[in-house]
Amino acid sequence: MSVLNVRVDAIEQVTEVVKHFTLVQENGEALPQFSGGSHVVVSMNINGRVHRNPYSLMGSTANTDKYEIAVRRQEKSRGGSVFMHDKVEVGTELQITYPVNLFSISKLGNKHILIAGGIGITPFMSQITDLNRLGWDYEMHYAYRSDEHAAFREELEELCGDRVHFYVESDNQRLDFNDLLRKQPLGTHVYICGPDPMVKILHHTAEELGWPENHVHSEQFSAPPIGDSFHITLSQSDMEIEVSGDMSMLEAMEEAGVDAPFLCRGGACGRCELEVISCDGVIMHNDHYLSDTEKAEGKKIMPCVSRAKCQSLVLNI
Amino acid sequence: MERGYWIRSKPLYETLVWRQRATAHCVIAKGEGGLAVLKLFQQMFPREPIKILFADDVNSSKKFADIMSVVVTEGLQICQSEQEITSELEQYLTGCKMGTQFYVAGDEHFMWNVMSVLKPYGVEDVNVNKELCGTLARSVYCVHCKTITNNAHHNIETCSGCGRNLLVRDHFSRRLGAYMGFMIDAEEPGKVPDIEEVYP
Repeated sequence: MSVLNVRVDAIEQVTEVVKHFTLVQENGEALPQFSGGSHVVVSMNINGRVHRNPYSLMGSTANTDKYEIAVRRQEKSRGGSVFMHDKVEVGTELQITYPVNLFSISKLGNKHILIAGGIGITPFMSQITDLNRLGWDYEMHYAYRSDEHAAFREELEELCGDRVHFYVESDNQRLDFNDLLRKQPLGTHVYICGPDPMVKILHHTAEELGWPENHVHSEQFSAPPIGDSFHITLSQSDMEIEVSGDMSMLEAMEEAGVDAPFLCRGGACGRCELEVISCDGVIMHNDHYLSDTEKAEGKKIMPCVSRAKCQSLVLNI
Repeated sequence: MERGYWIRSKPLYETLVWRQRATAHCVIAKGEGGLAVLKLFQQMFPREPIKILFADDVNSSKKFADIMSVVVTEGLQICQSEQEITSELEQYLTGCKMGTQFYVAGDEHFMWNVMSVLKPYGVEDVNVNKELCGTLARSVYCVHCKTITNNAHHNIETCSGCGRNLLVRDHFSRRLGAYMGFMIDAEEPGKVPDIEEVYP
């Protein structure tokens, strides 16, 4: 997979737990064009093992001199965000993938409601620059825990004017989805990025109110969850691989030299889907891509985030 | 017809069924689509506000407006023409909220005429419940002169614009609401296969 070699040009501590990174291409050239809502996957070499985390591009889509990403420090994660916070400095060289967009604004919509919870604000920062440029009708609703966590509030006020609304949990300000969705005119699309329960509640509320499924858009990148180690057999490659507890299947395959497909590495895009030939135990599906029926059938698996509890799992790769 | 072969753009229509989750319902029907509306009310009378726009087909012996006025005690608006339906629909749509469900019944030309009104309001084709009623007649778009000929009943139709003999295909344009038609005797002028009624 082709990569872009970038260098960290600037780092800003935005809140106690969020850092903002500006990346420029090492060879000094402009970076590829991207559309609002795109993300890149950043490769990090942590103690000899390559970690790859997806991050949304935040800056203006009109400016390709630099890419901007924001990283929230996740203490309970496998180390990617902590690495970005503690080890990456101005001048650090990183490898990123070309931008991919799994969260673009629907061109068929007449109005766009953007909802962010916490660090979920990042994909909207670039979407807003697109919406402003196109002159489309939108509202930005941003919920966060407390004033100390109000990342990018000032930028948003400047970008959105009176289109932006803030909800501070510590001040008991609540965003009522039912209230918000009920009053929207025909042709409205809603977009959400935030914690899993928030995304689920929005989907449920929209469904109850009779919103068509294709008017509700969400993006969630899951970090590969930690679990028990297990064995996988790759039928085409004729290999047996041990997936350790702190590794995803995808990472284990990559470390063993298997050229497995991937894009988002967060269970969202479906690119890494593999066929399950047999499994004598239970597959723990952690992705947002497969339907509930597909998950129950157990014929497919997303190796970037899913795991298994079994003696034998045979994959067609 | 080749077995197992189908054109993906050919619309597949359904039966009108009230959607359970809704904040309002809007039913738009013409002519024999009236029967589909009456069938809807055989299912139930929904709790949410309803709007029914209906016009009888003046050329058809089957009329539904009178029966409908008895059955549908609320939200019914009987129109005199297709044009009146679409202009009343426009007015209704300006104040419409998300959660409103749309149902359309009638001949294919009518349904896609209604879709062309709904589309600018951000209502997508896939989210509209459509039932084909009365006739299989097609609208045919001539790929040579760009004229659309309505009410095509035959496998080969004469273009109302350029007079060419058009083979009526299954390829359908949702934007135009018409099937693709191209000249069947372009290679050997005058050599036209048997013309048969296939879309009664």
